[in-house]
Order: sequence, then C-alpha cells, then structure tokens
Amino acid sequence: MKDNHIVELAVALLFVAASMNAWPQSGQPASGPASVPGASAMTASGAAAPATGRKADRALRRKVYAAIGKQKEISAGDIGVTAKDGAITLYGSVTDASQIDKVVELAKGVPGVTSVTNKLAVKKPLGGM
Amino acid sequence: MKLKLCCAAALAIFATAAHAQSSVTLYGVIDTGMLYQSTSAATFQPHAPNLGHVYQLKDGGIYASFWGLRGSEDIGGGYKINFKLQGVFNSTNGKFGLADTPGTTAIFNQFATVGVSGPFGTFDAGRQIIPMIYAMAETDVRGAQYFGSILTAWLGINQAAGWPGTSTNAPIGALYDSNALVYNSPKFYGASLALEYAPGGVAGQFQGGTRESAVLKYSNYGLNLSAVYYNGHDTNPFPLTYPAAPAVPATGLANNRFYYFGAMYTISGFSISASYGIGKNPAKSNTADFEMISGGLGYQFNPSFKVTSGYYYLKDRNNSANHSSEFAVGAEYNLSKRTKAYAQVGYVDNKGTMNQTIIYGAPVAPGESTTAAMVGIRHAF
Repeated sequence: MKDNHIVELAVALLFVAASMNAWPQSGQPASGPASVPGASAMTASGAAAPATGRKADRALRRKVYAAIGKQKEISAGDIGVTAKDGAITLYGSVTDASQIDKVVELAKGVPGVTSVTNKLAVKKPLGGM
Repeated sequence: MKLKLCCAAALAIFATAAHAQSSVTLYGVIDTGMLYQSTSAATFQPHAPNLGHVYQLKDGGIYASFWGLRGSEDIGGGYKINFKLQGVFNSTNGKFGLADTPGTTAIFNQFATVGVSGPFGTFDAGRQIIPMIYAMAETDVRGAQYFGSILTAWLGINQAAGWPGTSTNAPIGALYDSNALVYNSPKFYGASLALEYAPGGVAGQFQGGTRESAVLKYSNYGLNLSAVYYNGHDTNPFPLTYPAAPAVPATGLANNRFYYFGAMYTISGFSISASYGIGKNPAKSNTADFEMISGGLGYQFNPSFKVTSGYYYLKDRNNSANHSSEFAVGAEYNLSKRTKAYAQVGYVDNKGTMNQTIIYGAPVAPGESTTAAMVGIRHAF
C-alpha cells in the first residue's frame, strides 16, 4: 500500500514536472487571441510591445523549425528552438557533430534571424558510432 | 609470360574495384565502468535466489561496447550501396555478444547488412537492430540506454515472459532480428515510416519463424512521436535446457506481439517523455500479457553536460501481484569530442516474480527492491 503510494507520488511528480514544462508552450497560443489589434495596443502601451513580440518570436521559431525539418538526416524533433526578437537559441541534440554546424547555418539563413546561440549537444543513437 | 599478363590483368581489375569503393570506416566504442548493486541473481528465473550485493567492472553503462566496419559505394543517380558489419563485445572480458541461438555468440551480432539507399529511402537486408527499438529510444529521455531506461523496462517484460537472457531472441518485440528486410522511408514534413519483414526460412512453413513490424514516427518542432507494431512467429523455440533438449519445431504460431506509443518534447534545455506499451503472447495471453508505462525528464545544462531521469512501471495483467517500478537518474559529461564520463544511480522495486534490472547484463533478485550505482567512461574510436 505504502509502495503504491510512492509509485503514485512519483508518477504525479513526473506529470507535474512534465506539465510545468508544457506550460510555456501552451501559454503561447493562449496569448494569441490577446493580440487582436485593440488588445495588443493596450499591452503595447504597458511595455515594449510584448504581445506582437511574442507573436513574431513564435512565427520565427516555426520558420527555423521548417528550415531544419527539410533536412532529411536531421531530426528536428530532438531540437529545441527558442526565439526572442530575432535572436535564436538552439537546444537539444543531433546525432553527429557535423550536423551542429549545419543546423546553425540553416537557422542563420532564415530571414529575420539576427543571431544564433548554439547549445546543441551530440547524442549518439543506440548502436551508432 | 601468359601468367604474368593474367596477374597484371587481375591486379588491374582489383585496382579499379578499389577505386569504385567510396569509403570504408573502422569504428567503435568502449564503455566501461564500476558498478555497485545491492542484490543480484544468477539467472532470470522467477524465483532465483538473491546472491547478495556485488561490486563489478561492468561493460556498457550508456550502451554496449562495440566495433564495426561500414562502407558505401556511390553507384550514381542518387543511389548508394551500403554495407555494415557491427558487433558488441564485453569490454571487461573481451567476449563477443549474444547471437539468436542460446549459448552462442556472434561476431557481428548488431549488424550484418547490405542494402541500398536513394531518393526512395533505405533498404537493408540481414541481421540488424530493428526500427522498433529506435522508435522507443527516440521517445525516452534516457534514450534506451543500458542503465535504467525504456530498454531495461522492455527487457523486464521480456524476462517476465520467460526470456532467459541467453540469446537475443526476445519473446516480446525484438532489439535485433536475423534474416530481416528493413525499409526506412524518407521524411515527409517530419513523418517517416519503417517496415520490417523477416522470412523464417523454415521448410514447409510459410509463416514459420517470420517476424514483421511497422513503425510510424514524427520528428519536428521539438516533438518526437512514435508508434510501434511488432509481431513474431515461433519466437524463442529454445527450452531452458537447450541444447540438451531440442528446439520446438516451427509451426507458424504467432506468439510475440508488442504495441508501443511514445512521445518526447524538447523545449529550451528540457526534455520530457512519456510512453505506453503492451506486450503479449497472443497464442498464450494467460501466461504473458504485460503493460509498460514510462515517463522521463532531462535537462541539458550546456553542450557537454546533461542530467536525465526516467521512471518505468511494469505490470503483469494476469497477476496483479507482479509489478515493478524503477527510477533512474544519470549525469553525462563530455571530456572531449570522443570521450564522456558518466555517473548513474537507479532504484527498482520489484514485486512478486518481477525482476526488472537496473542495468542490462546484471540480473537482480526477483521480488525485492534493488539499488545500483555506476560510474564509467565511454570512448569512441
């Protein structure tokens, strides 16, 4: 019984941890409707246009993923892309060191990208050299 | 004189053949560490006695040590002929890894393939690591590593289904298949398909010893999704006392089925994964019917340092007394481009006759809780 409790707790913790990370993602679409002209003007008066900024960041992030996704040998699902006012940061992993340069080049080639910070790691797959 | 000419001609042919060969690479990895484990067992038998704690030099903290030869020849038109010969070895004693027959080893137990790649995708024939396990590795933060991962969890349900660990012939799904024909499609907007068919080669039995599997994957926008179907006929025909007792003749019996769905999401430095799998013997689902649930969380601090953790739960759907939960956490630090150091800790709580291991190749006592810790180094050449 006690063990079951520990299991439940561990699972619950994992789900909480998982959902916490998922928030920034689901939070972004939620801010989408707020960026209708009237609303965005209101937020823009409060700060330096964060709503439109976030929208632009999101669009840029998509474009970077689309560019990486076209490469057949690179798994864009293993790569975390964040965008902030034209500055791209690449997280996650690729399967070969040569792919890091490739991904950085692809990101730099996307119109609107001003800088690329590379935090990609190399992760060899099972049975891979 | 004639002989001389012949030799010269032969040499010339050899020389041109060598030119056409685009590349051959000799490569490998050695992975060795020190392992402490609080319980141990000699076998995967459901009631194997606990032999006590163990300190040992252990191969494969991340993945097994292996070496191989591979090459490809560009035949033009975007097509290439590829070959790969690759096998694991135990870095602590130099022995080769398991083959598909109990009590034997194989030099190239991971890959012995020849195939073609082109705009249509890739096709490889021979013994190989099959698409199923990659689909699982890509949706596990722990990456199906040898220490506490979806691999040890999946092997856990195989052990519960009667796998003695003496061959690579797993009763639920497979990591390697011999005689396999594998097709991998190119990616379409991140989606890809892999199909496997392994003819059994059993005389008079079309279905005898055959395997088939299908894997559907998606990988883009930081998200990996995998769906797996695997079905095998006449899996594990070898009794425990083989070769003293002969193998059961193949009849085309479908006795190995596995379904798996998994997802992994990477955002900023974080990775999160979750999966669900069901494995059973469709011919005898009252003896082998298991569920496998996983969750993972990892963080990449910088390109050379990461911490990953995973939780793995196994359940016997025929007997609720048999279940197992495992938690593993590991840190990996790249000392250089080719060498990494790692430290990992795992805890497993096995109930009933469950014996989910913490690390591949080190059986734990069934029905007890076990802790293990390992530090090691992995060097590629």
